[in-house]
Amino acid sequence: MNYMPGTASLIEDIDKKHLVLLRDGRTLIGILRSIDQFANLVLHQTVERIHVGKKFGDIPRGIFVVRGENVVLLGEVDLDKECDQILQRVSIEEILEEQRTEQQAKQESERIKLQAVKERGLSIPKSDALDDF
Amino acid sequence: MFRFQSFDDDCTLEGEEGLVEEEDEIDQFNDDTFGAGAIDDDWQEEHTRLAELDERVRDPVDNTHSTNNVQPSSLPPPSSSSQLFPDVDGRAGGDLAESLTRLLLGSDPAIAGVGSASSDRSRLPQMLSAHPPHPSVLTGQPRLLLSYHQQQQQQQHLLHRGSAPLAQINSHSIWENNMGFSPVSVNAGLISQSEDKTLMSIIREVGLPNRPQTISREDGRDFSERVPPPRSSSPVIGSPPVRAVPIGTPPKQTLSQVLNQNNHPSAVHVRASVPLRYPPPFPERLSPNNLLSIAKSPLPHPPFPAGVNPVLSHIQRAQLLNSQVGHFPRAPPLLQGGVGGFRPFFGQPGPRVGPHCPPLPHAPIRHNTTHLHPQHRRMLNQRMQMQNRGDHVGSRGLGERKNRDPYSNLMTQREKEWVAKIQMMQLQSTDPYLDDYYYQNYYEKMEKRQERDRDTRKEHATKLITPQVAKLEHTYRPVQFAGSLGKLTVSSVNNPRKMIDAVVTSRTDDEEKREKQVWNKRRQILYTVEKMYSLLLEVQDFEKKFLQTPEHQREALLEQHKTHTLQLYNSLREKEWDDRVSDEQCLMIMSVRKGKRLISRLLPFLPQPQAAAVLMAIARNLPVLAKKDKQDQVLCWLVEPITTVIQSMSSTSLTDLLQELQASEGQLPLVLQNKFGVTLLYMILSEGERMQSSDPNCQLMDDNRWTELVFSVTRELLKVPSSLLSPPLFTPSNLLNLFSRYTDRQRLTLLQDKIQSVLLTTG
Repeated sequence: MNYMPGTASLIEDIDKKHLVLLRDGRTLIGILRSIDQFANLVLHQTVERIHVGKKFGDIPRGIFVVRGENVVLLGEVDLDKECDQILQRVSIEEILEEQRTEQQAKQESERIKLQAVKERGLSIPKSDALDDF
Repeated sequence: MFRFQSFDDDCTLEGEEGLVEEEDEIDQFNDDTFGAGAIDDDWQEEHTRLAELDERVRDPVDNTHSTNNVQPSSLPPPSSSSQLFPDVDGRAGGDLAESLTRLLLGSDPAIAGVGSASSDRSRLPQMLSAHPPHPSVLTGQPRLLLSYHQQQQQQQHLLHRGSAPLAQINSHSIWENNMGFSPVSVNAGLISQSEDKTLMSIIREVGLPNRPQTISREDGRDFSERVPPPRSSSPVIGSPPVRAVPIGTPPKQTLSQVLNQNNHPSAVHVRASVPLRYPPPFPERLSPNNLLSIAKSPLPHPPFPAGVNPVLSHIQRAQLLNSQVGHFPRAPPLLQGGVGGFRPFFGQPGPRVGPHCPPLPHAPIRHNTTHLHPQHRRMLNQRMQMQNRGDHVGSRGLGERKNRDPYSNLMTQREKEWVAKIQMMQLQSTDPYLDDYYYQNYYEKMEKRQERDRDTRKEHATKLITPQVAKLEHTYRPVQFAGSLGKLTVSSVNNPRKMIDAVVTSRTDDEEKREKQVWNKRRQILYTVEKMYSLLLEVQDFEKKFLQTPEHQREALLEQHKTHTLQLYNSLREKEWDDRVSDEQCLMIMSVRKGKRLISRLLPFLPQPQAAAVLMAIARNLPVLAKKDKQDQVLCWLVEPITTVIQSMSSTSLTDLLQELQASEGQLPLVLQNKFGVTLLYMILSEGERMQSSDPNCQLMDDNRWTELVFSVTRELLKVPSSLLSPPLFTPSNLLNLFSRYTDRQRLTLLQDKIQSVLLTTG
């Protein structure tokens, strides 16, 4: 039954596995159970996947209710293609460790950059309004 | 673009009264407690009477008696209540408290603690003793009861018979499963779902049998046959009478729960059979029984006239909207599903899709009323068919997988349709050109392309008839009562109340202008440009609008167009009484990038004399403009409209133009240094040459002005060093002809070289 011909709608996507990218940078993978007109999502058997480099780790989270405005994008996961991946799956602890290292490195580079810029007498204003991660 | 749909309440008060009359028993009780019978002060007598009632409560047959009989003290003094609401006398006395609780506690989702029965309980006696003041309850009440009336009669009777006036939070029960429980289980279900603690305590004492398992909070129960908790979604006090269910409420589940029993044979619902009837209008009360019975006994023909034209007329569309869209399209999906044996449509297309594909194009499922372009629909159908074919192959495996998913179909069919409906409503538009400009244009272009490519095939020349939804005014006026002091004291999400009467004072145009002048001249220019732009856009869109408006409105539109264009002309003038195009104004506008764009778009719409005047102004002030344009470099936008203007100019004006170009000292060299200037100059010369060569009698040569001007131009051209001479946008071919008339051979070659060298350096 074609629910909304000629438009994009999430109705056809219900009960299918989806990958959702949130505005704060998290990646959730879960089965889309319910939607509403604001594209608020109900994800079932959700897993938060953390990607660092070529590795990733899954944290099981259960049921998620996501407010629509926080979704950047989402897409259906092809269950067949999901099996063969280039990425390497690691344990949760390991991936969290990797993430921490990455964060530190990033902060370090930011600091150096800021320092260099300050030395030259310029200033970069901090943009708090951006959805940044 | 979210619009409320008006809901036609076609129920009358007669129904309500008729209902009430049947329940004499209750009336009697109420009368005794609230009405005339209660005046009696003898508490002993009262007590015995109530004790009798209490016994009856223990009787499981007439079970669901209210707790008000258990708590007589918390009831409001009846006499005063009947005084307050004189218009609804004996009947009101009985139903008043009932409706009060219903409305206040259960109904309004914003007021009620949703789902928290305990808070309801604690609130109940307080509310009642506090003597709810507002008379609006009663206006809400008939509505509420009217909506009851729309429910299946059976259930209603049970409801009233089984319940005493108060405590029964009947609001919940309206929206109960329309599963049509058998009498015993209905009451049980009602009670349990109302979560009336005191009542429950009684029942527990008594030991009611067979509460349906659906409400039990056991772990590991299958979600597919869940029964959601009662949702407080009854009509609200003082809300606009659009629908009984506020628009934010998902529908109750109906169909899929029943359907899923195919997969889960452990369903325990007991269903009373209901005679076959057509589904009522969307979205309410489509009882699954009805659906099922329709589905299982396939109708020989679709329940709506086969000749329904998919492209509805304007009126039909508005009607459809008003009478809740979706009425027609509901039937075919049911039919299709029913014919093939019942399956949830969604998710399991399976092998049954095959026979159903053909009917689809004829009865398109349309929750919206903005129509797709026929081409678009064709493409969609093709795509769908391809998908279905693909699904055919893959669905066997998928279908099995889905069968095993116990959490599937948590979102019921109705809920999906509800969401789809809301999303479709947002697509309705009264002005498709405004709302969906690119879509319209894309299909228009496609049409034109097709017509161009294949004139013979008429089938492709389908015109898109975009219906326009009638703009329905939905101004919400909050409920007010004559003679009442002030406004409603109860406000909720659905009937918000203005707390402060704030008056907006807007500054007049004059003041605004003055202030802006003080601040920033540039801002003023931009402001003027903006205003002109909106006028211009109106003028530009005129043609499209003209084609779309019906005949009788075209006169008005034409008038409007004229006023707009007039206003445009006027804005170029400096003073009201001066008919000429103002130099200053033009300059001002053109000092801004946006202004230049505006002028370039505006020129085609101006009449010849005015356009020429604008052109003169530009030519006169070219050096200034050129300087201001250094950063933007957008003067060349003007070339195209100017070409048109020049070509329509008379010889005298042309000469004048050329003169303007050289008006002041040293202007010409500056002109030559600017790309636009050079282009303009060449255009003028070329036009002059064209005039001369085509029409030997042209007036160009009548006075010597033209010749002299050309002489000066040639002199200047020769004088100016090649490096400074700016390359034009294009060089007209007949320039040399022109120069050959006025200069000798030597100079001609020099000129030729120069022009070409300039071209070469850039090219």
